[in-house]
Amino acid sequence: MKGAELKHGDLEGLLKGLLEKGVVDCLILPHRTGKSVSYMLVKDADKIESSASALFAPSFSVNAANLVKGWTIKEKVGIVAKSCEIRAAVELIKLKQLDNESVLLITTDCSGAYTNQVYTEHYAEIGDLVDSAKIKELEGKGITIRESCSICENRLADVGDIIIARGAGDDLVVAGLTEKGEGALTALELSLEDKDLERAAEKEKIAAEAKAKLASLPELNSLDALEEFLQDCIVCKNCRDMCPVCYCKECFFDQPLGDPIGGDLLNLAELRGAIGLPTGQLFYHLTRVYHVSTTCVGCGACEDACPKDIPLTRFYPVITQKVQEIFKYEPGKDVDEPLPFTAYEEEELEECLR
Amino acid sequence: MGEEAKEEFEPKIVGFTCNWCTYAAADLAGTSRKKYPPNSRIIRLMCSARLDPMFVLKALLNGADGVFFSGCHPGECHYIKGNFYARRRIAAIRTILKQFGLDDRFKSYWISASEGEKFANTMKSLTEEVRELGPNPMRGKII
Repeated sequence: MKGAELKHGDLEGLLKGLLEKGVVDCLILPHRTGKSVSYMLVKDADKIESSASALFAPSFSVNAANLVKGWTIKEKVGIVAKSCEIRAAVELIKLKQLDNESVLLITTDCSGAYTNQVYTEHYAEIGDLVDSAKIKELEGKGITIRESCSICENRLADVGDIIIARGAGDDLVVAGLTEKGEGALTALELSLEDKDLERAAEKEKIAAEAKAKLASLPELNSLDALEEFLQDCIVCKNCRDMCPVCYCKECFFDQPLGDPIGGDLLNLAELRGAIGLPTGQLFYHLTRVYHVSTTCVGCGACEDACPKDIPLTRFYPVITQKVQEIFKYEPGKDVDEPLPFTAYEEEELEECLR
Repeated sequence: MGEEAKEEFEPKIVGFTCNWCTYAAADLAGTSRKKYPPNSRIIRLMCSARLDPMFVLKALLNGADGVFFSGCHPGECHYIKGNFYARRRIAAIRTILKQFGLDDRFKSYWISASEGEKFANTMKSLTEEVRELGPNPMRGKII
């Protein structure tokens, strides 16, 4: 891949350039208000300031891909976000909820993130930037990253059109992964040279730590365990609404069959003798986990969204990973790779039938 | 469960079959007077690909002791590739069911329209397998 070396201070100019040179029509990027970081949609380049402190802030509020879900517009939108968010955007492109021609996906390196509440509350200790050593140090003080981040193997930027990789100190490498990305960097008049950003050793280390963390989490391996896990669920469906890859315009669970009321509930109660209220936690979550089984990027937005603090990371990414394994599919990696449910091989998977 | 109780237990099985093959095979089994247990309730689909894995979940969560799916052999779909898509979906839902120990209650087969005998034999073995498993624990639960 081709890229250029920059410093943290150059980021502001780089992003402004994207707007000023007309590479994109607008930009969605993290924006800092005091101790908090959220997203903003920018048209006017002058509104971009002190980018590095917001871009690499270890804070997760919403999945940026969820913000652009269903945006099938002609204007070109640049999205600067973490790997899980860009992966979700790639899945949305495949699901035809986003137009590949009208987005420029820019992925930043992530070392793991705190929920935005934790980040704001402990800003004094966490600061603008963290690395793995700092995360460990903070863990000792009881300030922990999101569980989904702790089991994430894809923290380093390696998807999208452009990646912004962090080096030592305030060194950065900006590189284009696709023709579109390289074209954008060329338009910014950066002098591009060949860069090797594989970072295999670093990735292996992150993956090993993530796997060890995953193995230490309690496993949901029986229906009884799942029932207990979901017993506080109020079926508010906020996990669905905040999920970047749950995209149906008319969700089954908003329709009478999936969301029964009145007489329909009485019929169910007659069938079973008695039903719990609200009903259908198991049906809802098991159906949803099937629906996102190939596209879940494990961002943990579902867990953040749960008003009852159910640790949904132990359910969604864990189960979907097993489904992705049987199709040897990694969500968000490649725009041109077909979704498993839209493709087939003539001879495959016979072991799954019995 | 003791031996006696097992004999009393008559499993309820929900089956989803493709109109072009297994549903016709069931017909053939009937017209050729093959005997098979009456425990299965068959729901006809117009193609294997109509099987939404949600059907399987709903049946199992509402207390069906067994669920089966049966379609045309791969490569013989009436709509050319419906069963290829179905196979992927089944593989996915089976992986999910397996995680929660429910996959034993979900069986899938390929039975063509000419395999009336295979259908009858499959129903026999399926009913026995589900009888061995005993009643679905979801039956009495308040969910």
